[in-house]
Amino acid sequence: MPEFIVKITTIVVLIVIWESLSRAGYLNPLHFPSPSKLIATFWELITIGYPTGITVWVHIRATVVRILQGYALAAVVAIPLGLVIGRSYLLQRAANPVITFARSIAVISLLPLAIAWFGVGELARVLLITWGCFWAILTNTIQGARQVDMNYINAGKMLGCGRKQMFWRVILPATLPRIFAGMKISLGVGFMIIIAVEMVGTIKGLGALIQQARFYYSSHIAIDGMIFIGIFGLLISFVLDKLERFILPWAVGLEEVER
Amino acid sequence: MTAHNSAIKVVVTRVTKRFLGENPDVGLALQNVSFSVHTNEFLAIVGRSGCGKSTMLNIVAGLLSPTDGEILINGRPIHGPGLDRGMVFQHSGLFPWLTAIENIEFGPRNMGMPKPERRTLAQELIDLVRLKGFENKYPRELSGGMQQRVAIARSMAMDPEILLMDEPFGALDQLTREDMQRELLRIWDTRKKTVIFVTHAILEAIYLSDRVIVFNPKPGFVRKEFIINLPRPRQKSSPQFMRYYEEIYEAIG
Repeated sequence: MPEFIVKITTIVVLIVIWESLSRAGYLNPLHFPSPSKLIATFWELITIGYPTGITVWVHIRATVVRILQGYALAAVVAIPLGLVIGRSYLLQRAANPVITFARSIAVISLLPLAIAWFGVGELARVLLITWGCFWAILTNTIQGARQVDMNYINAGKMLGCGRKQMFWRVILPATLPRIFAGMKISLGVGFMIIIAVEMVGTIKGLGALIQQARFYYSSHIAIDGMIFIGIFGLLISFVLDKLERFILPWAVGLEEVER
Repeated sequence: MTAHNSAIKVVVTRVTKRFLGENPDVGLALQNVSFSVHTNEFLAIVGRSGCGKSTMLNIVAGLLSPTDGEILINGRPIHGPGLDRGMVFQHSGLFPWLTAIENIEFGPRNMGMPKPERRTLAQELIDLVRLKGFENKYPRELSGGMQQRVAIARSMAMDPEILLMDEPFGALDQLTREDMQRELLRIWDTRKKTVIFVTHAILEAIYLSDRVIVFNPKPGFVRKEFIINLPRPRQKSSPQFMRYYEEIYEAIG
């Protein structure tokens, strides 16, 4: 049987069981709304919105813009920094404890500080996402730059590479697959922390939607919000995979060989 | 091959290499190594693993500097790598992010050669190593033998006087290896180069070279030298060939 049929069947069976349990009264609709209720809510979120007037498209837009801004900023800073650190033994040893320390600080624990420093506006939210995305990109870039095969460097030297050419034509392309890996991981992180980041000061965004729903005890809306985030995460990682195959056709095959 | 009457291309004088931070006995890779290579001569260096033959080649390449001693090329001491030397590595010397032809163009591109010119040059080399039709393949899409053809073409794109080869066929299967040995001689015949070829395969060394030098392991130095006085193409099964084999085998110990 083709794999996708197996997958779809599994999902359909689970939903049918869930719906039957709800209808038979085994699941409290307040805690565990039925699939049919969720689909109805889905429709309301698209047409009427929650809170009224703010449709799910507005929420999605707000969330995506925030994540992309924070993510782009993280990448712009982390990639050059990671390349520099990765190519210097001294900097690596200096940076290591700082990185380990900083990346174990959960984004949510930085929320009060971020609000104190940057207020409750967009800036604080975007910077928190930047923080969350930053470390995975940085550490992967460092590892990639550090592990560039000596054979490539030696070949570059024998073929007349100066310092600049060595960087642009050998070290950077050799590091790209790891940079991409870091970018994929950190985008996932961005979606995970969006809830925390949209907790205060805004009513727009999928995270804010879930917060509102929680406040009014509307689990059906909260669950729909989570589903939206999940679908988005899936969609974006699909796009990133396609993008990787397009930009790094030579590296995609390497991964397959290693696996 | 009358390499012995021609000019001297490379002179290695009393080269010692000690790797830092290691036990002094283990750290001494090369001790007082001296030899020279004539212009357009094909020289093989053989010896057991860890005898310092690759280290020696890297020093001639300029990738490592000797602790003591000197390397002269055309009578001038070397300081680091130079375009007068090309190198072929055993593994993964090819850039996986470049296609075959882009790999070959890499050196000329570094020198600022305009694209149409370097394309033409690379295409000639593709023809020379018989890879027509594989120009736009990535290294991973090529077999091991084809990859080494690209590596040879790439190292020749700068038209170096000296070709340094570090066990270039060591990772190939036996049949491909023998094909590549014939191919290398054909290429060497078309474009005369001074070759220093490092290998631990005695048969390969005798088949290819004008002269074989045997390295002593730990510390490395030249133990013995054999001039291979056989016409090419050589028959690996001939009695003279076997006699060289036995003598060199004994010299390696």
